[in-house]
Amino acid sequence: MTNTQKTVSIGLSLFGALLLACLFYLFIEPTKDTEKNPPPPQAITSEKPTGGNFTLTALDGQHSLSDFKDKLVLLYFGYTYCPDICPTDLGNLSMAYQHLTDAEKSNIQILFVTVDPARDTAKRMAEYTQYFNANIIGLTGTEQKIAAVTQKYGAVYLKPEQENKENYTVDHSAFIYVIDKNGQLQTQLPHAISPQQIQNTIRTYLTQDKTP
Amino acid sequence: MIHHLKTTTCALTLGLVTALSSTQLFADQAKHIEVSDPFTREMPPGSPATASFMTLKNSSDHAIKLVKASTQVSKKAELHTHINDNGMMQMREVPFFEIPAHGQTQLQPGGNHIMLISPIQPIQAGKTVSVTLTFEDGSSKNVTMPVKSVMNMGMKNGNHDDHSHHHH
Repeated sequence: MTNTQKTVSIGLSLFGALLLACLFYLFIEPTKDTEKNPPPPQAITSEKPTGGNFTLTALDGQHSLSDFKDKLVLLYFGYTYCPDICPTDLGNLSMAYQHLTDAEKSNIQILFVTVDPARDTAKRMAEYTQYFNANIIGLTGTEQKIAAVTQKYGAVYLKPEQENKENYTVDHSAFIYVIDKNGQLQTQLPHAISPQQIQNTIRTYLTQDKTP
Repeated sequence: MIHHLKTTTCALTLGLVTALSSTQLFADQAKHIEVSDPFTREMPPGSPATASFMTLKNSSDHAIKLVKASTQVSKKAELHTHINDNGMMQMREVPFFEIPAHGQTQLQPGGNHIMLISPIQPIQAGKTVSVTLTFEDGSSKNVTMPVKSVMNMGMKNGNHDDHSHHHH
């Protein structure tokens, strides 16, 4: 055997041994990674949420749901650093809004409530909502106040464990809550519902509200 | 610590085995992927990220994995998906998007998407964005796409898919 052949055969043997050890390790020793996974997020209850009045802060001051007593309110929970879910739903809401008649527009109000009050100041909420050009009011408040409002509507949110402490994401439910003129929660629309479907829902409730 | 070392060594070894056993003479997966209707969503003000969407069609007899996206317009680009867990939307990074043999995979709002994280300049409607897609065999494809506002994405009267841009 030449030196080269020796080196090659030793190399191959070592590689083979390593491969066997690995296969043994992978199949025999259970991985423990599952233990590190975070606990499952708070479940969304199947019970119908009660809804109800709330007061939160916008750039121009306090707003209560009851301030919009003569309007159909569309309520959405999210956050301004939201990379995809919120821009999708707020974009769809905006499209629906812009295709309404002026009379219809004056009879509805879209509210965007943050689930990330640590970063979403009233000023930031105002800048963000303005972009969507649908007369949306952006609302924030203390952690406790936000928690209380989301609970009333059955909305849930959770900050999963992540490396980036500043540019973090928040998991959250993404329903659009439809609240009638009397402040009663009527229905909730799922995430990614089309602008056309939002518009149909708005028209259905606006017509219902006219006929007592 | 030892656990990690063992896992890493094994991953490397098995990776080498896979690489050796699936040696391909040509890295040509990119040639079998056709990209249609690509666009990047305009960023709302102050947004730390935005996303690119498109339809990927695979004309080959084998599934192809898109394993990486890279771009000059943001500090990072990642492959992401959303898991709808009983209404709770969870965004997570994924290692690849698989495009089935003779099938297609859609990257769309609320689903699979290419996340552009920490854009270097604001990504605004009217601009174009270039993203390089890298496939499992190392072949890549450059996609240049328009930036569209969220307010111009739905409510279309016609469907793009009704009229294919490619007549063979």
